[in-house]
Amino acid sequence: MTISELSFFNLALAYLMFIVPLAIMMWLRLPMISDTLIAMVRMTLQLLFVGFYLQVVFKINSILLTGLWLLVMIVIADLSIVRSCGLRLRAVAGGVFISLLVGTLMPLLFFVFFVFQNSAALGAQYVIPISGMILGNCLRADIVGMQTFYESLRRQEKAYIHALAQGAGLMEALLPFVRKAFHAALAPTVAAMATIGLVALPGMMTGVILAGGDPMTAIKYQIAIMIAIFTGTALTVLLAIFLTIRGNIGRDGLLKQEIFADQK
Amino acid sequence: MRAAGSTLFSNLSLTLEPGEKLLIKAPSGFGKSTLLRALLGFVPISAGSISIFGNELTSRSAWQLRSRMAYVDQEPDLGDDSVETVFSRPFSYKRNRHLHLTSRRITELMSQLGLPDSLRSKKITTLSGGEKQRIALISALLLEREILLLDEPTSALDEKTTLSVARLLREMKELTILAISHDPSLAGALDRTVDLRQHTREPL
Repeated sequence: MTISELSFFNLALAYLMFIVPLAIMMWLRLPMISDTLIAMVRMTLQLLFVGFYLQVVFKINSILLTGLWLLVMIVIADLSIVRSCGLRLRAVAGGVFISLLVGTLMPLLFFVFFVFQNSAALGAQYVIPISGMILGNCLRADIVGMQTFYESLRRQEKAYIHALAQGAGLMEALLPFVRKAFHAALAPTVAAMATIGLVALPGMMTGVILAGGDPMTAIKYQIAIMIAIFTGTALTVLLAIFLTIRGNIGRDGLLKQEIFADQK
Repeated sequence: MRAAGSTLFSNLSLTLEPGEKLLIKAPSGFGKSTLLRALLGFVPISAGSISIFGNELTSRSAWQLRSRMAYVDQEPDLGDDSVETVFSRPFSYKRNRHLHLTSRRITELMSQLGLPDSLRSKKITTLSGGEKQRIALISALLLEREILLLDEPTSALDEKTTLSVARLLREMKELTILAISHDPSLAGALDRTVDLRQHTREPL
């Protein structure tokens, strides 16, 4: 069996499975049925749109178009991170954008030139799915990292002031908060690496196997992509924190409260 | 003195001589803690001025001046490490690298404030409020700064322990102290008292 055998009719049948979670929600009287239905419709429309768009992008296979698509993905991820962290767009969007750009491109280019060792892998068919996987993980890690960093700095202002008052430099006082945020952001990826294959078969590997590929080839690619993801997430979290903190710390060393969206 | 758009104090002029120990008192909400934070350069001042060691306090000069002062908060957040780490951490900061921490000095100060030496290996999170206050005070004293700023340093202590704190501070002849406190036992150990109510127009 290959993936091409899944017709739109068969796909429509898959929607029948939604009846099960919807029935559970109705039985529990959860006020999330309309949100779930909207999310389902959005998922369908977004993926169909991406599917059609990617068909065009893959066919044209232009570096410019691929780059443009990559930029669109990064901007959407950037906005999503800033909104999820409860921070002001103007205060952090620039730094987060650069962190995502570096965190995605660096492992991607390493992957293409050193792992694939084939510049043909810069084609849209490879770049978009690989960068999508890296970016998706960078997004999750950035949300956890940025939120942990800024919220703990806000909640534990006394500890931060205590360090500054004892003579700590800016970086010395911030370091415990960076450490905490970095750990919180990276821990899920570390846990995922430790259980991969045993608890869950990752998406890329499953995709290759479903498309009729050799499982061993699928596993090799999966190992490489996991390393790329881990590198990307580590880079992006650290950069996101360092690129956003400078402009949001006053000359006295304290965090400007205007960075938080809930602050007037 | 104005900060954050409101008048903190009016007609307030204070000068502390080296080694002098001053107590500031006022009811809650009169900006006592804000005054201490302003002395550390954490509150930008739009009117009035503060000079320390003859240097005007600005957001730039504050970084250097902080390394000549020590500050103890009323409810210090000392993190979740061990007591030993709380004592040693400030000595790892670049600005404090010329200072030396000795185990004997820690034991000495702990004993003077009624804390057993065994507490050093304990996690901060397992300590009582009073123990944390004394650990914060010891941590500040270990740095051997010239000025000590204290925000209600004995609020969680019993009278006997407060007297130990007062005795210890009294013995430090060269240390300049500016303390905020309601505690009469501590007041007795300091040189003079200023009531902020006479200098505040708008309660915060």
